Amino acid sequence: MSTTETTRVVITESGRMGRVAYARIAPNEDLVQGVEKMCLAEGFRNAFVRGGLGSLVDASLGTRDGGYQQVSGPAVEVVSIAGEVRSGADGVPVASLAGIVADTDGNVYGGPFLAGWNPVCMTFEVTLEEWIPDGEEPA
Amino acid sequence: MSPTLQSGYHRPRMLRHVGRFSPVRIQSMHYQSGRHIRLLLQPGRSLYDALVRPLQAIGVTSASTTILGGHFDHLEYCVAPPDPSGKAVIAYSSPIDAGASFMVFGNATLGKDMEGRPLVHCHASVRVEDGSVKGGHIVPQASIIGATPISVLVTALEGFELRQAFDDETNIPLLKPFKES
Repeated sequence: MSTTETTRVVITESGRMGRVAYARIAPNEDLVQGVEKMCLAEGFRNAFVRGGLGSLVDASLGTRDGGYQQVSGPAVEVVSIAGEVRSGADGVPVASLAGIVADTDGNVYGGPFLAGWNPVCMTFEVTLEEWIPDGEEPA
Repeated sequence: MSPTLQSGYHRPRMLRHVGRFSPVRIQSMHYQSGRHIRLLLQPGRSLYDALVRPLQAIGVTSASTTILGGHFDHLEYCVAPPDPSGKAVIAYSSPIDAGASFMVFGNATLGKDMEGRPLVHCHASVRVEDGSVKGGHIVPQASIIGATPISVLVTALEGFELRQAFDDETNIPLLKPFKES
């Protein structure tokens, strides 16, 4: 991926785990932005996903060519998910989430969840654990 | 196979639910730290018993768990198609018998049901008996751990608890965080 970022790339980052938060994200909210808003609500700058499960109306998963694969529901169940949230200098949390989804026949698809394109169907449960890099105190 | 779309005008689809819209869209609670436990799911037990009983014994009743890969002697899962009765927008299907299976990766939430009993909500991807990979809502009482214990990373939730409560908007009971009762 090309980037014009001018921030210093840190390859290893030491730190510790902080607070743990659980949220239930309501229907029609976007999964990725929902996790980001959860971080705004809880004051988490950086976090790892410790667990997540729930359903989406339809899923949109990014593809290598910059397009996306749409998996039609409802409901598309999220059956595996991993990811993290990082905040830049502006303090805006950005979630990067990837996982496996299952359609209404149980067939599976995988990839990154595109922000704004993965509306929750019934509920989404997510547990985040705050990540506090050395030298940064939590907000 | 769902289509891979390259471009074109498209927007995410919303659904109108049966009940009244709730203005609170993200129900979130936190605690100052997490408590982590490595749990081994014991052979021959149901996923429900293998998760619930050992955690109950150490006082854990609300948790998020990551189930690492492992064999099941028997596994059942449900998918979530539209609800033909119209009582909710979707409803779980009847359990699908996956036979002897390998759970590739799963997440399970432990909380309490509306009667205060332990509740396990588990979604996972699974290689089923015929060799294909499927995914869905695992039926924890009907899924039996295979001959080798399965590792689970438990993040126990403290300072609040997860309880099933009726959700007016979706018209089904759902797990939500509450202050401890």
